[in-house]
Amino acid sequence: MREYVTASPEETEALGEKIASGLKGGEVLALFGGMGMGKTVLARGLARGLGVREGVSSPTFALVHEYRGRLRICHYDMYRVTGWDDLASTGFFDDLSSGAVLIVEWSENIENALPENAVRIRLRRGKTENERIVSIEGYTNENTGD
Amino acid sequence: MKILAIDSSAVSASAALAEDGKLLGEYFLNTGLTHSETLMPMIQSILRCAKVPPKDVGLFAVASGPGSFTGIRIGIASVKGLAMPFGTPCAGVSTLEAIAQNLAHLRAAVCAVMDARCGQVYNALFRAEAGALERLTPDRAVSIRDLAAECGTIAGPLYLAGDGAKLCARSQSFQKLDALLPPEPLLYQRAWGVVRAAERAAADGKTVSPAALMPLYLRPAQAERSLKKQQGGNGT
Repeated sequence: MREYVTASPEETEALGEKIASGLKGGEVLALFGGMGMGKTVLARGLARGLGVREGVSSPTFALVHEYRGRLRICHYDMYRVTGWDDLASTGFFDDLSSGAVLIVEWSENIENALPENAVRIRLRRGKTENERIVSIEGYTNENTGD
Repeated sequence: MKILAIDSSAVSASAALAEDGKLLGEYFLNTGLTHSETLMPMIQSILRCAKVPPKDVGLFAVASGPGSFTGIRIGIASVKGLAMPFGTPCAGVSTLEAIAQNLAHLRAAVCAVMDARCGQVYNALFRAEAGALERLTPDRAVSIRDLAAECGTIAGPLYLAGDGAKLCARSQSFQKLDALLPPEPLLYQRAWGVVRAAERAAADGKTVSPAALMPLYLRPAQAERSLKKQQGGNGT
């Protein structure tokens, strides 16, 4: 497990870009952390790092947004997903084997459906209001310069 | 009557145009899950090449499940969109029956299987008798091992067909049964099989309006497991 400390949303987004640089397709990036912890900010950085030019917003209402950059990206928000039928109907299981990178916000809600090789990324508040501690569990080959 | 049929239930996708039992044209692609990009061009190409405008189609047919949620939705939505302007009747047919129709000419048991992941398949068993197809089981989700055990009790030659056929044929439990695989062009679900199943549905009066056409999702059992890990307790 590796931990990174970011001092601002901009730095969290930049960390996302760095993680993206090592992605090859087919990874499941499971994001954990409550409201305001920076999940969508990190997702935006991931998408930008994969070459997505359009704006990235939280898929709270649509449940999943799809983007195309260097790789196809399926960006999920599981906040309102409460059962296996709900989850299946989002297309989650189809996307798992599609070669796309899956970014899964609110992974807490579907933890038992995550594949074994999912990369677990936890965001929590640091010492200051804007500081975040981002811990990454699982292999992402991210180029974070250390 | 002209029937336009499509299948986008799993990894492959196809479209076919048929008239009174004659296959006028068929398009088959097995290049990955890109149905939202490929299905409509396939349909358009077939109708254009055959010089059949959509209003001349008498029945729109679609494999309405089981299968991938995304794929089935694309198929159903496509057919609804094509059929609604003229109120053309529609038929949603079992993907598994469409698969078995590929092998209806044999004298054999046909085990139609689709990959449902995690060692499970969507399956139905059929008896093919030189063109006639008899259904032996309903569509269901079942483990590969349990299915092989059931197939072991069936007399005579056994064919596997569908996108899960190779998966089953490779499994230890099926290797003991000498199950046979059809050649590649008959292996996967195809729109021609959807045509055949739709002909039967039409003969039985089972066509519906575009608005009434619905997907039939089937989901593998997840044991009695919660989706959310229980905090502090035994969540698995």
